[in-house]
Amino acid sequence: MISLRDVRVAVPALRPGDPDKVLLDDVNLELAERRIVVIGANGSGKSTLLRLLNGLRLPSRGTVTVDGHDTAKDGKQVRKLVGFIFTDPLSQLLMSTPIEDVELSLRASVRGKAERLARAQALLDARGVGHVAHQSIYDLSGGERQLVSLTSVLAVEPTVVVADEPTTLLDLRNKQALREIFTHLDQQLVFSTHDLEFALLAERAIVVDGGRVVADDEPGNAVAYYRDLMR
Amino acid sequence: MNVHASLLGAYHPQQGWLFRLGTGWKYLLLLALSLPPILVGRWWFTVAVALLALGMLWSSGIGPRKALRVGWMLWSILATMAVYQLITLQPELAVTTPGNVLIAVLASRMLTLTTSTPELLDALVRGLAGLRRLGVNVDQIALAIAVMVRSIPYLMGAFDDSRDAARARGRDGNIVSLLIPTMVSAVAYAQSTAEALHARGLAERESR
Repeated sequence: MISLRDVRVAVPALRPGDPDKVLLDDVNLELAERRIVVIGANGSGKSTLLRLLNGLRLPSRGTVTVDGHDTAKDGKQVRKLVGFIFTDPLSQLLMSTPIEDVELSLRASVRGKAERLARAQALLDARGVGHVAHQSIYDLSGGERQLVSLTSVLAVEPTVVVADEPTTLLDLRNKQALREIFTHLDQQLVFSTHDLEFALLAERAIVVDGGRVVADDEPGNAVAYYRDLMR
Repeated sequence: MNVHASLLGAYHPQQGWLFRLGTGWKYLLLLALSLPPILVGRWWFTVAVALLALGMLWSSGIGPRKALRVGWMLWSILATMAVYQLITLQPELAVTTPGNVLIAVLASRMLTLTTSTPELLDALVRGLAGLRRLGVNVDQIALAIAVMVRSIPYLMGAFDDSRDAARARGRDGNIVSLLIPTMVSAVAYAQSTAEALHARGLAERESR
């Protein structure tokens, strides 16, 4: 269970004397559903909200807890529980090839190097990207990169996956493939998207606008609200 | 994003003898090829060692075309070095200066084209193990180097993107119009890399 209580995120103003810029305010949420989508316009606070969930961003006020672990006090434990998928997988992949990247994720849990490499290859095979295991990450297609990112994140066996617009850079085929994978993930999934069809697959939808949660409903109603808001 | 073939090349497993050679031996080979031409300083020796390096790569299944695919930027720098030495009437240096740089790059590629990054890092960690007694976090150094190696093609690609954007506006002769966006892109990339390290819990683990 993820809880956000009285959360505010603000950053200092660029000019001294100006008020802080508020990115999110008055956020109170209990996230228990298995598929939760966050929708909102660019700059509305979606990414900030998602980054709070694994401690990438800490609240200026209030608390965020994951299974009782405060992201501000116990970030290490929170990041073990919550995997994060970025919009651009190139930002996420830290090593030069897919197998090295997945092997890096396994270092905390698998001791022997040969075993780690075998396990990494098996995980990539299971996601259908085993054939590119030794290629440069720069030679992969966008879809392959996102699948490798997902494999690296899932290799540490998190209980929650947070994905920030994971399908934005993908073509239609890869979008559909990733949607399918996300639908069948064992983990709790919290994701943001501009793809309203994808949003409708969730169990719960949260609409963010101007740094505030303006709707929190089942996806059909929330998407209708969002469409009205954007008119 | 344009992405270059890396200066140091990407590893693809093969059966050649260099691929089977121990990583420590390859580090020694790198030194054995790079240092003597600098110490000898004669054009014929530089040419001979460059040919030897190419031959060694070729005998392991890496032909001259792949071995010499080091990117237009390096070739431009080497050409500039040679031209400068010719202008200053030092024909021998026109061969040895860029030649020795090329040998160092080829020797480095001998290591990186035939060894996976984890193997390189493991060898590095073993080599630096003694520093642990001084409180140095060797694992963190190894991870930093791995991330640096992975970032080189991205940054070269960022430079190409800036060049394309400048060309599209008819400003391709202006070096400032290339460097500033490349720097901005590099800083953004560094930030996103730091964020990825934190998101994957590696910053905590490696800083232990």
